[in-house]
Amino acid sequence: MDWLGGWLREIILVVLLAAFVEMLLPSKSMERYARLVLSLLVLLTLLSPVVSLLKKDVAAELSLALGKQEQGGGLMPGQSGNSLQQILADGQKLAKGRQDQSLSLVAEEVAQQMQEQIVNETDERVKVTVKLGLAKAGAEGAVLNSSGEDVPVITAVQVVLQAADGAETIAPEETSGASGAALSQPLEIKPVEPVDIHIETVPETGQQVEDALPSESGKSESIIELLEQKWNLTPGSVQVMGNDDRAGKL
Amino acid sequence: MDIIQVVGIGLLSTILILVLKEQKPMFAFLLATATGILIFLFLIGRIGTVLGTLERVAESSGMEMIYLKTVFKIIGISYIAEFGAQIVRDAGQESIASKIELAGKVLIMVLAVPIISIIIETVMKLLPA
Repeated sequence: MDWLGGWLREIILVVLLAAFVEMLLPSKSMERYARLVLSLLVLLTLLSPVVSLLKKDVAAELSLALGKQEQGGGLMPGQSGNSLQQILADGQKLAKGRQDQSLSLVAEEVAQQMQEQIVNETDERVKVTVKLGLAKAGAEGAVLNSSGEDVPVITAVQVVLQAADGAETIAPEETSGASGAALSQPLEIKPVEPVDIHIETVPETGQQVEDALPSESGKSESIIELLEQKWNLTPGSVQVMGNDDRAGKL
Repeated sequence: MDIIQVVGIGLLSTILILVLKEQKPMFAFLLATATGILIFLFLIGRIGTVLGTLERVAESSGMEMIYLKTVFKIIGISYIAEFGAQIVRDAGQESIASKIELAGKVLIMVLAVPIISIIIETVMKLLPA
């Protein structure tokens, strides 16, 4: 019954509007013509359930026709030469923007899931960044899709091992791409740098670093294996970085 | 109080025009045109208020905006055509004034073409082929 109420409301509004506009019109000579158009509008509103039953949306069609009239018609026609290319380009631009948006959304979701999996399996505090790219269907990594459209494929996964000292928690925001990592880096690095300079001279800390490295690499190997198995990734697309690497990178 | 201002401007310019008409008919016409434009500009804000209210009501109640747009176009065309025709008529060119009115009528009818075509298509589909 919802549509009935909306329909009735629309009829009442259009009739009221028509009466009001008739009063607003300046002269008698225009009145007959304006009244014709207004009564046609009322008639169209009355017919709108039938029209929408038979065809598509009334208002959309009307606006399309009016827009076409405005572009091509007028007193000076002939200025609508490149309109088709323009419309097509606009459509492509819109589609591209939407695709990018959905890709980044998917990347965030995937990164979240990977992070949860790694935390469940290895008890490591990690931060995952996923890069998605488009590939043609039928190319490697996208065999399942047969519709011939571009499908999203995971091109690179970046896992950052976080220090286990508990001072830093896993950042819940997962901005996709490298920007997320770049944003979080300055926060952690500042206290590390002065320590790094003195490490090489003192043998004890050097020992510690060497002790830490094998376990780090073991962890990263297990993480890579896990991700590649679970997500059916191509080997080499997963990159695991420890905290020291990140300090060295800057 | 606005109506007093409008009537005042009208009376003043009428007297001036009557005086000027004997000496310089050209300036009398220019003064008449300027007065007309002045009153029109004076009223345009009020018309805008009315149209804005209509638009707000229609928007809040979910009416199709394209209907409102069509109606506004009708109002605009008729006002502009009427105004231009009256100025030209003041200058004594009755025939050109009627042409301007004709153009306004035709343009209003052109607005009706998409509506008519949709209605006719619907009726034709309803009829058994």
